[in-house]
Amino acid sequence: MKKPLLALVAAIGLVTGSIAQAADAIKIGLMAPLTGSWASEGQSMKKIVELLAKQQNAKGGVLGKQIEVVTEDDGGDPRTASLAAQRLTTQGIVAVVGTYGSSVTEATQAIYDEAGIPQIANGSTAIRLTEKGLKHFFRTAPRDDEQGRIAAQMIEKLDFKQVAILHDSTSYAKGLADETNALLKKKGIKVVFFDALTPGERDYNAILTKLKSANPDVVLFTGYYPEAGLLLRQKRAMGWPVPFIGGDATNNPDLVKSAGQEAAEGFYFLSPPVPQDLDTPEAQAFLADYQKQYEEVPASIWAVLSGDGFRAAVAGIEGAKSTNGGKIAEYLHKSLKDYPGLSGPISFDEKGDREGEVYRLYKVNADGKFVMQKL
Amino acid sequence: MEEFLQQLTNGLAVGGIYALIALGYTMVYGVLKLINFAHGDLFTYGAYLGLTLLTSLALTDRLGFFMGVLVLVLMVMGLVAVLGVILERAAYRPLRESPRLSAVVSALGASIFLQNTLMLIYGARFQVYPDNILPVTALDLFGLQVPVMRVLIVLASVVMMVTLYLFIQKTKIGTAIRAAAIDQGAARLMGIDVNRVILLVFLLGPALGGAAGLMVGLYYGQINFTMGWVYGMKAFTAAILGGIGNIPGAMIGGLLLGVVEAMGAAYLSIAWKDAIAFCVLILILIVRPTGLLGERVADKI
Repeated sequence: MKKPLLALVAAIGLVTGSIAQAADAIKIGLMAPLTGSWASEGQSMKKIVELLAKQQNAKGGVLGKQIEVVTEDDGGDPRTASLAAQRLTTQGIVAVVGTYGSSVTEATQAIYDEAGIPQIANGSTAIRLTEKGLKHFFRTAPRDDEQGRIAAQMIEKLDFKQVAILHDSTSYAKGLADETNALLKKKGIKVVFFDALTPGERDYNAILTKLKSANPDVVLFTGYYPEAGLLLRQKRAMGWPVPFIGGDATNNPDLVKSAGQEAAEGFYFLSPPVPQDLDTPEAQAFLADYQKQYEEVPASIWAVLSGDGFRAAVAGIEGAKSTNGGKIAEYLHKSLKDYPGLSGPISFDEKGDREGEVYRLYKVNADGKFVMQKL
Repeated sequence: MEEFLQQLTNGLAVGGIYALIALGYTMVYGVLKLINFAHGDLFTYGAYLGLTLLTSLALTDRLGFFMGVLVLVLMVMGLVAVLGVILERAAYRPLRESPRLSAVVSALGASIFLQNTLMLIYGARFQVYPDNILPVTALDLFGLQVPVMRVLIVLASVVMMVTLYLFIQKTKIGTAIRAAAIDQGAARLMGIDVNRVILLVFLLGPALGGAAGLMVGLYYGQINFTMGWVYGMKAFTAAILGGIGNIPGAMIGGLLLGVVEAMGAAYLSIAWKDAIAFCVLILILIVRPTGLLGERVADKI
């Protein structure tokens, strides 16, 4: 009986020892899907935040102290995430970055808010997250309704007069279609067609024939890439040259495979930029460092947005000159304006949503590559 | 008018595929009174085998488009037919004397097995046929611009259906199949080897289903391991619509379902396309409970 007791005492000693040791470091939490179906995203997030922390520490840390990143795995699952959040809140973190899925983030919002820890989500786009009036919640990702605004704006800029809108009845695609429809009407652009297809089918000729008879200048398809690929392919077989614009769910190289290069050429879609296309000097410098360190590029923009979350958290601590969660949150809401982030300037509005445009317009070129358009 | 005719060709192309698959359901039901739920997955196998053969043998490069595709169709039909026979041996023959529900459960199990095997072999992502082998030009049919591929799909399915019909109606073996469908016991007493008839049915049905799968792959390009479910459901519906167990009924039911879907999408609402098609099905079954040409309906399932 003595040995286990000894071991226990030793373990307690170790734990308290490590807490004492780290007491002069400022801890920032990272909650990311390190396992599960979004693991590639989560691993990128961890790499990005750790590299940024290393760089910040080399510059002297924050408030004269070193930064320590405490990472917890949320598994891309709300239940795992709430446990991860509870563990993080007991580890003395000052702020937390994360996470990816909207429902996963939602499961942790109340936990951090009650603990008074500012949370900066990086991949969660569901509108309701910032409609709850939580004082400590922020996000570097755009909201779902942001994309509709950009879609309407792009259609106006590209000078299309008659628009057909097609969705697939999923809540995401229908939401985007409704949003854009309303905005286009406000701008006085005619929506000549609005309907939904059934995803998972092979033959969309009947829909395309009907679309064609509505005679639009452009078709906005808000659904996912498999259907978009089929639509483009069948459109070409019909010999109908109308341009198509897709939402960010069409941003997948398999789109070009499905459609075939010739049919995919000229397809526009909206999407947050891929990391390689980020043109801010901060992003260029960071991506170079990242590639040097890990010999790969980050998995997606959502992973890079976790880096922006980390930078915002550091800026908040520095700006508030405090590790008090309430003060940091207040600084982020009110005083952080156009802070240089990796994906462009970072500001937050009173709800905690990111201000400024994250979406870009892409076009598929003749080789089937996605090329960012400057507008 | 032009839009109407365009939609008609759309509907016929889709309906032709439905009809080819429906034949497999209806032939098996005719002889065994069994709904072969794994039939939709045999159709998917046709699409995947076609892709593998097409890319690995490069038939269209060696033989030209028409000969290459013809050889490909025959190879796929043969392979899927063998698969159909294996399915019958493994999943249905041991249950021939069991209650009918056991065979249905076995069919569903076989369907899940086949689907998941395909996923494990090829992966869960979409597979795509090469797009540079097919003619993409449009054909001018009396002033109507119709893609060549669509015309070929309709032609191919009609040729296959007519061949099958003649085979069943005009040959001795076809007569044996019809006899076994009417009364297995009596057919056996007349010296017909019913087991061989069943074997033949499981060769012919899957062969046509496999050909349909290949055609879907060639025409639409994008295939995935779950697509047999939707096509199987629609084809099953088409078989019921025409009168299950009745071969011309399956052909008419398939084409009709395709055209009704296209017209529903064109003149009512795209999103309600399936609902409209199934409303038509219900109406037809209310007026003619045995389907358009059928004598019996599936009364046990």
